[in-house]
Amino acid sequence: MKIVVFVTQTQDTEARIKVGSSGDSIDMEGMKWIMNPYDEFAVEEAIKTKEAHGGEVVLVTAGPQRASQTLLQGLAMGADSAVHISDESLADAVDSFVISKLVASELKKIEGIDLIFTGMKIIDEESVQVGIQIAEELGIPHLALVSKVIRVDPDGKKLICQKEIDGGSVSVEVSLPVLITCPDAMNEPRYASVPNIMRAKKKPMKTVSLDEIDFAGAGLSKEAVNKAGAKIKTVSLEVPEVSRKLRIIKGSDDSTVKGDEVASAARELAKLLKEDAKVI
Amino acid sequence: MNSEIWVVANLKGDGQIRKVTFEVLSEAKKKLQGPVCAVLLGSGVGDRVSELGRYGAEKVYVVDNQNLKDFNPDGYVKALAELVSRHSPAIVLSGNTAFTEDYMPRVATAVGSGLAMDCVEIGMTEDSRLRIKRYSHSSRAISTQEFHGDGSTMIATVRPNSFFKEQESPAQPQVVNEDVSLSEADIRIKVLELKTKESDRPELTEAERVVSGGRGLGSEENFKHIYDLADLLGAAAGATRAAVDAGYCPYDMQVGQTGKAVSPVLYVAVAISGSVQHFSGMGSSKVIVSINKDPEAPIFAKSDYGICGDLFEVLPPFTEELKKALAAE
Repeated sequence: MKIVVFVTQTQDTEARIKVGSSGDSIDMEGMKWIMNPYDEFAVEEAIKTKEAHGGEVVLVTAGPQRASQTLLQGLAMGADSAVHISDESLADAVDSFVISKLVASELKKIEGIDLIFTGMKIIDEESVQVGIQIAEELGIPHLALVSKVIRVDPDGKKLICQKEIDGGSVSVEVSLPVLITCPDAMNEPRYASVPNIMRAKKKPMKTVSLDEIDFAGAGLSKEAVNKAGAKIKTVSLEVPEVSRKLRIIKGSDDSTVKGDEVASAARELAKLLKEDAKVI
Repeated sequence: MNSEIWVVANLKGDGQIRKVTFEVLSEAKKKLQGPVCAVLLGSGVGDRVSELGRYGAEKVYVVDNQNLKDFNPDGYVKALAELVSRHSPAIVLSGNTAFTEDYMPRVATAVGSGLAMDCVEIGMTEDSRLRIKRYSHSSRAISTQEFHGDGSTMIATVRPNSFFKEQESPAQPQVVNEDVSLSEADIRIKVLELKTKESDRPELTEAERVVSGGRGLGSEENFKHIYDLADLLGAAAGATRAAVDAGYCPYDMQVGQTGKAVSPVLYVAVAISGSVQHFSGMGSSKVIVSINKDPEAPIFAKSDYGICGDLFEVLPPFTEELKKALAAE
């Protein structure tokens, strides 16, 4: 089977963040960059599928030069090759309209794709839409939030899986090719061992510059690949200070409430909710 | 392009319109300039029209098609994209739900539009471009974004509980029945089995109060404490990823980066330490209350009220006190 994983390098959102001097983006000074955590589940699912049914796993990303680190991580996990649409202008948050068209234009050059996996969300922009839009560009169906792939039938070219919906779940069947977005409940991503990290550096990684993109075919203007040409632009960004009331009732030794303290703490909290917060 | 602002109705499994649709209608009426219209897509949904009128829709476009059952994204993409191409509204809005997250990205691509999802504010620039606010970076940052204004329809989805719904005087909206070229062959995803469960509790994303439990609950049985407190408060019940992973409760209760984003008036966190990922899904709650036995739990630094104590000792007297407070209302 030919399996593609669309991966994105993201900022580590657990790291300390502050607004940059331009006022419309996060300060990148000392920023830690990681593979989008949900893409790790997508890479794992792709490798598992390949192990069960044979074939190859191709990674694709669109991002600046540093994004090749994320591709190396995926290759070290077990992907076979990678395609990097690389340009420094892709370092700024470019909207999903542009990224999905760029990625789809490269994927159209790969023949016989059966499956595309990607994470359910890109954590820095909190975007759930890019992968799904790639499917629309390619004219193939997608299944969002797949909690479990139940059966892949490479010969019959179809797949059965379970996906999460509002208020429950649904089992569905779809013909290949299909794009699947992966939540974290799906599997346990493997770690890349040191020997595999060394081996990854020898795996094929194709770099595609913007000059090689068929912009007309992709339905994009080349100018679109910067903030001015995007459909949506960020005009300002704030990292609001958390201003909570912090009225935490503790025990006498500044620790947990014990004994008689419990009843009075419970009474006080109920009173605060009613009289101070006015929420009950 | 015409100047209409469309609000696409969000339906529940039983065909009822979700509260968020009325919130979006009310806010669009208040903040945006242009005739506010609703779009009703579904199978056997025609009788919902007057409700949309009560919340301000002047006109309702109705597509009643049997291929729009079971919330299959393929059908909705085709129907909505066809309508948008036919009428070129200035703006298309809808509530942000798992289903709009599923199908709206494709609609935007199909009609060549920009898409801003899970917005918490909507407004307009002086030159009639849509301006929104949305969270990013695990909800620790909030960005103001503007559509570029290239003449294409501007599409946005809105987080439930971000706005108030305001009922207007009852007026029967103009109904426009629309045909779309949708057939069974367009539905590529075949539903084999649909498992939804009935619950008397409000839905997590729409609830005004949420009570959530973490791994500290210790077992599925102990989650009864969460359900009891939720029922007392008329709240929805939620959980952390750790509690879901431990098998204490189902995935659809998960609040956080992977699970649902909630924005209630009151969020009660029981035995939840307060990870960045969990806060990503509930940080915009108006009042946060936490009960945790660990004095160092990060959640205390992000709570309005709380008790540092063992949930099994604290919840029984707290529940009693709440009962008294509620009875005195």
